[in-house]
Amino acid sequence: MSKVIFKNVRKSFGETDVIKGFDFTIEDGEFIAFLGPSGCGKTTCLRMVAGLEKNTSGEIYIGDRKVSAPEEGLFVAPEKRNIGMVFQSYAVWPHMNVFDNVAYPLKVAKVSKDEITKRVEKVLETVELKGLEKRMPNQLSGGQQQRVALARGLVAEPDVLLLDEPLSNLDAKLREKMRKDIRRIQKEMGITVIYVTHDQVEAMEMSDRMVILNRGVVEQSGKPKEVKQSPRTAFVQDFLS
Amino acid sequence: MESVKRVFFSQKFILGSALLILFGLCVYPFAILFYTVLFPKEEFSLEFLSAVLSHKSALRALKNTVLTSFAIATLSGIIAIPLAWLVTRTNLPWASRFRSWFCLPYAIPPYIGAIAWIYLANPTTGYINQIFGEGFVNIYSYGGLIWVQTTFLYTFILLAALSALDKMDPSLEEAARLSGAGPFRVFKDITLPLIQPALWSGGLLVGLASAASFGVPALIGSPARIFLMTTQIYTFQKMGSMSGIFKAGALSILLLLVALALLLLSQKITSKKRYQIVSGKTARPSLIDLGPWKLPSVSVLFVLLFILFLMPLGSIILTSLSEVQGSFGSLGFANYHRVLFEMSETGRALWNSFSLGILSATAATALAILLAYMGQKTKIPGRAWLDILASLPYSIPGTVVALALILAFSAGFFGIGPSLYNTLAMLWLAYMVKYLSLAMKTIGDGYGQIDDSLAEAARVAGASWAESLKSIWLPLMKPSIVAAWFLIFMPAFSELTMTILLAGPGTETLGTLIFQLQEYADASGGGSAVLAVIVVLSVLITNTLVKIFSKGKYGL
Repeated sequence: MSKVIFKNVRKSFGETDVIKGFDFTIEDGEFIAFLGPSGCGKTTCLRMVAGLEKNTSGEIYIGDRKVSAPEEGLFVAPEKRNIGMVFQSYAVWPHMNVFDNVAYPLKVAKVSKDEITKRVEKVLETVELKGLEKRMPNQLSGGQQQRVALARGLVAEPDVLLLDEPLSNLDAKLREKMRKDIRRIQKEMGITVIYVTHDQVEAMEMSDRMVILNRGVVEQSGKPKEVKQSPRTAFVQDFLS
Repeated sequence: MESVKRVFFSQKFILGSALLILFGLCVYPFAILFYTVLFPKEEFSLEFLSAVLSHKSALRALKNTVLTSFAIATLSGIIAIPLAWLVTRTNLPWASRFRSWFCLPYAIPPYIGAIAWIYLANPTTGYINQIFGEGFVNIYSYGGLIWVQTTFLYTFILLAALSALDKMDPSLEEAARLSGAGPFRVFKDITLPLIQPALWSGGLLVGLASAASFGVPALIGSPARIFLMTTQIYTFQKMGSMSGIFKAGALSILLLLVALALLLLSQKITSKKRYQIVSGKTARPSLIDLGPWKLPSVSVLFVLLFILFLMPLGSIILTSLSEVQGSFGSLGFANYHRVLFEMSETGRALWNSFSLGILSATAATALAILLAYMGQKTKIPGRAWLDILASLPYSIPGTVVALALILAFSAGFFGIGPSLYNTLAMLWLAYMVKYLSLAMKTIGDGYGQIDDSLAEAARVAGASWAESLKSIWLPLMKPSIVAAWFLIFMPAFSELTMTILLAGPGTETLGTLIFQLQEYADASGGGSAVLAVIVVLSVLITNTLVKIFSKGKYGL
């Protein structure tokens, strides 16, 4: 449960600027959606919060802690940021069963065995996977793998949960249920969520505020309804229509 | 006349002939080998097999082969695994260059390395011993044999690991980092278990290659009286007697069984523990910052590269230029002049190797075009066996292949026609058989990428099958065909393991000439070094050509 702050963050790959001066504050416990077409820089923003990409300049804060400031030579490694993340490909480890997958962040943090069992069980209950502890990932459906990934992202009670197009590989019906479940879990835990998507329905339905990105620039941000009702640029109007 | 032509160019006739050739080359010789050893008097008998098994030197060779192969595979893993991680997962400077430099020994025949290391570390005049004092290192030892083999064969594990690491979904590792694990923990908990099947099969390939190799054990092991199965088979066969041939045959069946056991083990491991780690999305993995370890890592890699590659290369270049052997002074091209222009064998050997390389590459590529077509584009039942049959001789140790060919074709084709023993035709067949599967794989990939409808359109437009092959498939597949051709030419040009058993007076090749010069004919004159330099140069040139023609898809 933390704020996430971007201060004039830029990212370039070689000559091309992917993010051009991003200033934004995500409030404590807020559900933010980054929305935009592919290549707009939304995933790059998310990966910079995770520490999987380094911003070229500017500062990123998680809570009160500055996690990246290239001008000062400061960079906190991803494993030290206390973040949970759910990947588009789920990234459920195929050589570990459900329990071991979800328990991994706690094992790395050297939590006691009893405590691990208790907490894994609790989080598996939350994502409705109880009883599947011993299953291997190849015995799970796409939706179940998705829930394993979610449980693994939540189990260590991170400050921020990052979701990178988590529902794009699911079928329409399952997607709708997952949308509701993710939102419910987020509210229960009061966790700050950054959710990247190219699907406006997801962003509209789930988020407290959404940020519409295009070519590395914020076109508009605000409550979903406000943005929809009064689009500020032609791009936003076109994208949401 | 017209109808004869129609039959001759019909799909059935052409593909049928290709199939016959495949059987004649890849099945028949091995059947004869088994028959000769197991039915010595037209009756089943284990006489030869048990005779060879009770032969002390044969058993020692078996033991040496198994132990050295194991040591070589282990040492190769120790070198290759950290290397693969550094060049794919960290922000190591010049990572892609290090990558291709370290893969390069894959294309160079290991006996070149043996010669280089003999010049470096023979007990009396080796360069290293001249610097550090006589007897500092002795290449003629188990350690020397294992080391020289490792300096080439580690590339098998390296290539397997690199391909697994490249294909792996980076988010599997990223998820672990976000779970709080540091880079080394991620490698231990996630990366290593996931690439383990690739590492095991790479390691078994190393074991297989070292059990099958002839050049290094012959040049480095034999002077130290360390015999492996391949060199023992060579000794038996060179006895020249019928009983020698039978002993060699029995021992080669034993070697074949060792190779088969390794292959089956590798199949089992890869099929049992194969994980789906490939993602649809191609993302660049986020690289681990080496930070203060950058400079030490680069230095260690440069030192390793120097020891593995540059030092041996320098040694053969220096030796080829030294006019007085074993001294650093008076350099010049006298050796080159003597070897290239004064020795009559050199011109013949170069010509033989060159023309055999061209002939076998052309024939095997042509055969592969037809066989791969059958495998990929027809619905003939049992077509999956084509690849298996063609890859059989590639997996079987060259020594065994050579012996099988001697037994099968010494009395002509199926008993008809003249004996092929001691002829260039025998070498041609040997190279074709051995490397056919390289062409099958490359050209098979090529067919896989081209949609059937293109040729179907030609057929609908009135082209016959042969015409559609000529005007549609072949032009579209040009890159794969050219790559396949070079992939065969390259190893055939400098082949030694089979050639040493098959070549006779007048049919020497580059490989056997180098071997002879090194073994006895010109041991102190640096003649082998001159030819070794030529082999390395031609490998580098061919590799570059392959890379250019295939636009980076093949070659190192």
